[in-house]
Amino acid sequence: MNGATLAADAMALPLQTELLPEGLNISFKLLPAILVIGMMLTFLAAGFLYKVADSDDMWVAGRSIGNVENGMAIGANWMSAASYLGMAALIALSGVYGLAFVVGWTTGYFILLIFLAAQMRRFGKYTAPDFIGDRFNSDTARAIAAITTFLIGFVYALGQARGMGLVGLYILGDPGIPGVTGYQAMMIVFMVITIAYLSLSGMLGATKNMVLQYVILIGAFLVGLLVTGWTAGFSTILPQLEYGVLISELSAEFSAPFAGGSYYLWIATCFSLIFGTCGLPHVLVRFYTVENERVARWSTVWGLFFICLLYLSAPAFAAFGTALYGSEIGAVYGDPGMSSAAGDVIVVLAAQLAGLPSWLVGIVAAGGIAAAVATTAGLFIAASSAISHDIYATIINEDATQRQQVLVGRLSIIAIGALSIVFALDPQQPVAALVSFAFSLAAIVLFPMFFLGLWWENTNRQGALSGMIVGLIVWFIPMFNEGNFGLINGGAGWGIDVLATWMPAIGSGLVGVPIVFAVTIVVSLVTDEPPEKTKMLVRQCHSPDPMDRDVTAAEIVAQKTEDRVTSDDD
Amino acid sequence: MYKRILIPTDGSDVAEAAIKQAVDLASKYDAELHALYVVDTDAVAYGLGAEQVDRLQQGKFGEMTELREEAESATQFVHDLAEENGVDVVEHHAGGQPHQVIANHAEDNDIDLIVMGSHGRSGVRRALLGSVTERTLRSTHTPVLVVDYQDVE
Repeated sequence: MNGATLAADAMALPLQTELLPEGLNISFKLLPAILVIGMMLTFLAAGFLYKVADSDDMWVAGRSIGNVENGMAIGANWMSAASYLGMAALIALSGVYGLAFVVGWTTGYFILLIFLAAQMRRFGKYTAPDFIGDRFNSDTARAIAAITTFLIGFVYALGQARGMGLVGLYILGDPGIPGVTGYQAMMIVFMVITIAYLSLSGMLGATKNMVLQYVILIGAFLVGLLVTGWTAGFSTILPQLEYGVLISELSAEFSAPFAGGSYYLWIATCFSLIFGTCGLPHVLVRFYTVENERVARWSTVWGLFFICLLYLSAPAFAAFGTALYGSEIGAVYGDPGMSSAAGDVIVVLAAQLAGLPSWLVGIVAAGGIAAAVATTAGLFIAASSAISHDIYATIINEDATQRQQVLVGRLSIIAIGALSIVFALDPQQPVAALVSFAFSLAAIVLFPMFFLGLWWENTNRQGALSGMIVGLIVWFIPMFNEGNFGLINGGAGWGIDVLATWMPAIGSGLVGVPIVFAVTIVVSLVTDEPPEKTKMLVRQCHSPDPMDRDVTAAEIVAQKTEDRVTSDDD
Repeated sequence: MYKRILIPTDGSDVAEAAIKQAVDLASKYDAELHALYVVDTDAVAYGLGAEQVDRLQQGKFGEMTELREEAESATQFVHDLAEENGVDVVEHHAGGQPHQVIANHAEDNDIDLIVMGSHGRSGVRRALLGSVTERTLRSTHTPVLVVDYQDVE
């Protein structure tokens, strides 16, 4: 694959009308099917058990969520099909380029930890659009942020849908419904199950379920890797290190730096992923529920540890998969080479090619589905809260009752689910690339608002509005240029080469983030300063004075303003 | 006859219509009024995110300012109206599924009468939104007085 971008490679894909991972054993398998169904039932049961617990007195302190538990929840919420399947896929397909994902998806947490987590906690809002609406005193800004949140959830879910569909093919096979390919049938089945879950139990994203989902996904991944490495004779007990000896045996495309993506593309992707991490609404929300800032920091450390368990293993899985594919199926690189569909299931494929029994391969596959379900739950709930809380209950109908909010929330989950299904019928990119589009969006539109909003008190409404609108446009340009969503030229896009080289959709943050920062700052400077009260609010968010747990920055500011008025009276 | 009257409220106009009747009854019978605001955990999950449900379960209702203010202003309305009429009030805030919490609360506190407002919805709207009042009727043995709310506009 040449360096012109992955997108260029994937643009050839629409010719390949059916997503069919070559080499994958596609048939109905009883034991893996039972495993997956059992796992889904366990999630539902956990969600249900959690739901019936009514708390009669909410003023009494209950059991708090500890660092480790919160860390696991961060891990499950975070690691989607993109981490479980997509990361190994990109490393297998494009070698060193894939490492941009390992680096980007971990580094982002440091920025989040240093600049945003504790400050957001102090601001004391529930959702990301809430923060933007209140910080910039604008319902329009709130609405744009809510729509962006919805859009992020939708784009992110495309990757999850593709992952579920491909893995589903291994477990349940091609049902042979006329007019629908096996991939499409499986993708629809698993997406519908996930949507039904969420509409039944909004609690699926609660910490208890997250911990369960994390344990399943990490267990499946590590066991799969260990056994695959052992059986195929690549490694013994530490495949994460032992795969190193394979490097010299694998083709240059795997191990030579920047063979599968230019240096610029690597940097652009990494940049987008780092700042996208800090702008993702479903990641930030986890920091609101922690006991205090100290717990916020420690749970991030634990979260990173739990994430790294998988991230350090993914390159090893990719290497084993590539080696097995090369020896059992055919050349990995060149023409025809490994298809992106096979790449996306390389984790499952490696386990299968190593000759593991189908129930064991089934466990690896089930882990992929757990990862996709866990993250989709978090994303869809973030999208539903953007619609039902931020747009419906705050802007459209201020007197909305709780039941009406539930209804709107459920309807938005069904809407975003249906939308994802339609657009995932013929996904033009591998899982990890689809997901990174959502990261570009979060990095370009939301991150600058969070960062400037919390750290520069002169950022005002006009600046935020123009920044976000410019950001949305900037994000759409490379998306359409490369023909994503299949809306322009029947999926071919405008195909402007210069744009595809310097502003690839997969890493559009590198160009987009500075543009949005500049627009926001310039517009804020030439228009009126924000009201004094807003400025005090910003200062309070990173003031060195410790804050009590049960107050928000807004309350302290209200208090101070009152004090000032009274002292003026004296 | 009625020593303790429970008035669940969500701060809406519908609830307020019922509150007037409940206060009147309480003053006639010299009963104690229990004002109950239930934070619907489903609404929190879909509206604010499942993490916020965790937060409620951890007993951190106090730090969730907006939610708390809404609950407090809803029960405060009952409190004020009751005080004007010389009725004793107990305020409660709870979380869960509203009809279940209301039924449990009635049982645990020896409530003699529950007074609730109802939209009187029918057809599609009823099928979609349901009725807390209707579900409460089916979950409790305590007598329930349903006050139908007619939108005057």
